Amino acid sequence: MPKATYILPDGSKNTLAVPNGQSLMEAAIHNGLTAILGECGGSLACATCHCFVEDAPGPLPEISDHEDAMLDMTATDRTEQSRLSCQIIMSDALDGIVLRVPDEM
Amino acid sequence: MTNPTNPARGAVSSSARLFDTENLINPYPLYQELRDAGPVIWLEAYGLYMLPRYAETKQALEDWESFSSAGGVTMNDEMNEKLRGGLLCSDPPRHDALRKVIERPVTPKALSQLRNRVAEEAKELVIRLVEQGSFDAATELAQHLPVTIVSDLVGLPEKGRERMLAWAPANFDCFGPANSDRTKAAMPIVGEMVNYAFTQCVPGKLKPDGWAQMIWDAAERGEVSVEDAPFMMNDYMGPSLDTTIFATTWLVWLFAKHPDQWQKLRDNPALIPSAINEAVRLHSPIQNFSRYVAKDVEIGGVTLPAGSRVIIAYGSANRDERKWDNPTEFDILRRDSNDHLGFGHGEHNCVGKNLARLEIRALLTELLPRVERFELLEAQIFHNNILHGLQSCRVTVH
Ligand code: HEM
Ligand code: FES
Repeated sequence: MPKATYILPDGSKNTLAVPNGQSLMEAAIHNGLTAILGECGGSLACATCHCFVEDAPGPLPEISDHEDAMLDMTATDRTEQSRLSCQIIMSDALDGIVLRVPDEM
Repeated sequence: MTNPTNPARGAVSSSARLFDTENLINPYPLYQELRDAGPVIWLEAYGLYMLPRYAETKQALEDWESFSSAGGVTMNDEMNEKLRGGLLCSDPPRHDALRKVIERPVTPKALSQLRNRVAEEAKELVIRLVEQGSFDAATELAQHLPVTIVSDLVGLPEKGRERMLAWAPANFDCFGPANSDRTKAAMPIVGEMVNYAFTQCVPGKLKPDGWAQMIWDAAERGEVSVEDAPFMMNDYMGPSLDTTIFATTWLVWLFAKHPDQWQKLRDNPALIPSAINEAVRLHSPIQNFSRYVAKDVEIGGVTLPAGSRVIIAYGSANRDERKWDNPTEFDILRRDSNDHLGFGHGEHNCVGKNLARLEIRALLTELLPRVERFELLEAQIFHNNILHGLQSCRVTVH
């Protein structure tokens, strides 16, 4: 199974095995990482799954207009690395991806 | 409205009395009967169509051009006339302009600034109630955040604000069909509320930095019209109180009935959003609204004629066996629980859902480490044409 690493606001690192097809928001929730809230369950309505992609081994999906608009409303200001983790679907090409979870959701 | 004796071809005629008290108390057997009867039902008692299944409900909510909100979303003409102008009863492009203004204080960024304050308030409350040992979840637990924090943020004048808890459900009773006794009885109370909006909710009497005042500020900048502003006052208070209060209460009730699910949430508090979804799916605080059929439209194999009105049954769609496995089961691990329509869907999906989720999350977060299980002592259903909730839910916590 491909792996994803989450760097939490306290600096700790969590590496999870994530099944192909699962979003990186869902993976965090199912593994009890409460720093990612995922309030809207992945329907692009809450921006509480905001992450900074520190390292992407493969190409990420395009940012849709809707995601782009939500990224403009995040609690921690967006950067070039900002993505909503509910929109990143795990695949072998992303094995080893590293996400940093912002302080403020 | 179309002639009540002449339903569209293919619609299944039913004598079901959805708004009789016994069916308001427990609508689910009737919903099931109607879902099994067909995708489009003609309710003879009210002269209204109804879409009891999930697929057609979703389709209608995605097609505002055929299923218009500007034609009103209640089940009677008088109320539709009264509410004309607010966000709830508008179509694009007007709806887009109003929505931009209403949603400003509840965007993710704005809400994140509230999260700490709500969390602290929730902590104090839960510590006190857990010490108390037994409490009424419907009042003591669930009312606190909406009534104190949210009301304060909206910033309506103190004078009259305490009436909101009586006004808001009466407002929803008035959404019922014209020939329902509940609808008729509640009309005068809504008059009071409308009067309050027009005479009290005005600049000078509103809290200067509150959400209600922000509507007037937007009107001054020309983002909405000054005539619209009084109608929009209701958009924060009307739909934000009982909905959130009932969702919270249902959660406690469900966890009392299903201790295994509470244990699962204790094991993984990150599942809070799914738990909230599952409660709103299974016991949707808003059961029914309606749409006006603006042009002939085909749905579920039936052509609904322009000018007719159709009930959108969130509460029935959310239990449709065609969509959900074991629909009556409370399962916080349900994979597709996010597909529920309890917060609406499409153009008019709930503006306040992130706020509601933030409030409920705050309470659950504090309850999880302090409560091993809830023991249900007594619960009583609230009677309302539209809202479905518990007016009391006494529990002891262990
Ligand atoms: C658990 C709590 C809640 C539930 C179940 C709920 C449910 C709903 C539903 C079903 C709709 C769709 C209406 C339609 O289809 O026409 C809606 C819309 C709306 N809700 Fe909520 N709601 C909740 C909390 C809130 C809160 C806290 C607010 C406060 C801001 C709010 C404000 C609104 C507004 C203004 C609309 C109209 C949106 C529009 O027409 O564009 N709701 N809600
Ligand atoms: S989980 Fe809500 S936007 Fe990603």
